[in-house]
Amino acid sequence: MAVKSTSGAPASSTPPQGQASKPARGGVAGGLLKRLLTLREGSIIVVTLITLIYFSATTSAFFSVGSFKALLPYFCPLAILAAGQVFVMTTGEIDLSIGAVYLISPFIFYKIVGLGIPLIPSLILTLLIVMVLGAINGLFVAYVGIASFVATLGMLFVLDGATLVMSHSTPITMPGTSILTKTTFARFFGAGTYSELVWALGIVIVLQAVLSFSRWGLYTVAVGGNRLGAAEAGVNVRLVLVRNFIVCATTAGFVGILEAVRVSTATPDPSGSNQILLQAVAAVIIGGTLMTGGAGTVVGALIGALFLGILTEGLTIKGVSANYDYLYLGVAILIAMTVNVYVQRVRTGSGRG
Amino acid sequence: MAEPAFAGEKIVAPTSAPDDVLRVEHIAKRFGPTVALRDINMHLRKGEVLGLLGDNGAGKSTLIKILCGFQKQDSGEMWLKGGPYQPKSVDDARTHGVDTVFQDLALIDQLSVFHNLFLRRERLHRPIPFLNNHLMKRDARKALDEIGIDIPQIDVPVARLSGGQRQAIAVARTISGDADIILLDEPLAAMGAKEGGQILDLIDRLKDEGTVSVIMILHNFVHVLASCDRVNLIQDGVIGLDKPTSETSVEELTEIVVEEYRRARLAAHGGNGAGVADPLAAADPLVVTDPADVVERLTAADPETTTDSPADSARE
Repeated sequence: MAVKSTSGAPASSTPPQGQASKPARGGVAGGLLKRLLTLREGSIIVVTLITLIYFSATTSAFFSVGSFKALLPYFCPLAILAAGQVFVMTTGEIDLSIGAVYLISPFIFYKIVGLGIPLIPSLILTLLIVMVLGAINGLFVAYVGIASFVATLGMLFVLDGATLVMSHSTPITMPGTSILTKTTFARFFGAGTYSELVWALGIVIVLQAVLSFSRWGLYTVAVGGNRLGAAEAGVNVRLVLVRNFIVCATTAGFVGILEAVRVSTATPDPSGSNQILLQAVAAVIIGGTLMTGGAGTVVGALIGALFLGILTEGLTIKGVSANYDYLYLGVAILIAMTVNVYVQRVRTGSGRG
Repeated sequence: MAEPAFAGEKIVAPTSAPDDVLRVEHIAKRFGPTVALRDINMHLRKGEVLGLLGDNGAGKSTLIKILCGFQKQDSGEMWLKGGPYQPKSVDDARTHGVDTVFQDLALIDQLSVFHNLFLRRERLHRPIPFLNNHLMKRDARKALDEIGIDIPQIDVPVARLSGGQRQAIAVARTISGDADIILLDEPLAAMGAKEGGQILDLIDRLKDEGTVSVIMILHNFVHVLASCDRVNLIQDGVIGLDKPTSETSVEELTEIVVEEYRRARLAAHGGNGAGVADPLAAADPLVVTDPADVVERLTAADPETTTDSPADSARE
């Protein structure tokens, strides 16, 4: 059910969907709108559409291929980060270390390539190392019993520190990339115009399918909904937690590499990466995943990321002074979330949820 | 061997019958300084319904959790169908045919009725191991119909259901499995008379079929006498009474409980139990002599609070 909307989600910032919302007063479209609202992602879809229509109507330059392309580097990494975070937040935990994992992974990759290992095996090795980092998070939470907020906060500082130590606080040139030409490797892993979009959509579809249709997803919801009950029913709660932290770290590490390849350098800047962490968490929550656990949607998180992207891009095109960017962003998030809550009430009132 | 907690205490020695499916000997369990079970000896015969009684906090739920593999005893041994039995997990116990309805029902509010019914027994598609919701819905409907539980919609989250319906689903989940030993921890706690009657009818039907053996924690003596073949009473961490229900009565069970209350009050006031005249009996409102009053109080009692914290158990 949830995956069906994936096909429409990426297109929602392109003309066909925008037009579809115009004759929404008709019977068929009205029915469609009602069905839309019964989805967990329904409210954020509506809010995103409203934002899109607002910027399209008030700025002439907004609704163009150019601005869509400009949107991608902002929204795609966020969507992938958020997709992994959904798995952790659906269990009622949170992973604050994704920004730091995102930060350190290109530097790990750089070191491994420096050992003389080819690019693809280096990438795989990097992802394996990142998975171990996620597993450590999971072990602290599930076995040691540290609250995930604290455990992953510790991991955040450890990895930020490790990045600064490893890099001597100096930026690196990403291996496999070149400033002059786009190598095939670079094109495939982030530098191609639509490379990140394809990865984002692929990862979102796979993870949403796992969450909605597999046992793993069922247990993820069960652990988030009633941890003791899930354990009594025979669900291996610890395994589910560790596994989900691994997924979350893996997506973060992968985005780190995609982004470093895209700009062909990696800068050891912990404050920037933690900004991304907060935006990813915002995308997850805006998308409809409960902070308390028990309900989550990867597609919703993608739309949440899209919403944040449209908002930032729209404010830029409107010519809002850069100083006001965060202020407007914050206010807009609060307004959008308020609308979200009301739409959600309509939704749950309409008989599903 | 456990030391008697007071003079004249009766401890049921290990007993057995030739057709035992489950036997436990000298089971002990403590949580830090709190002794939950001191020395439990108990057996369950094939096709039998055994009622487990005891005061709140007596360790009934702890015993059930040990039997079903959720917790491990500190000492003592268990046998299942002739072989040694030490379940490593709830799952492991289930593969041995032991399944449980927990006091908190172990339902996931956010999941649908049929997902809850099939939690840990999911039906999957092949070759891609996705959930076969269609098949699960069909089988869930069939199982509920067979049991005779009326749940109008099975694809809504269980959060939408009434307390009684939720309880019915928890019971249905266990009964519709392959288990031949079923443990029920207060299956009637949240139920009205009508729904509770349905569950007891269900237990009676299982008893008639004779293939399933049941251990059931109950608070209501009338229910115990109506549905159980035999009754075990846990007192101070041991089985203090083991009798067929045909040889006991509400009056006898009540008398034991009244005695327990009296002893607890005496202990709380620094008395040393046996041998001391009971000066508090008349003045103390808690020492009740009218059995009916005690029955009422017990049946209205809050759900038992176990000595272990739920959060700790979840981490285990």
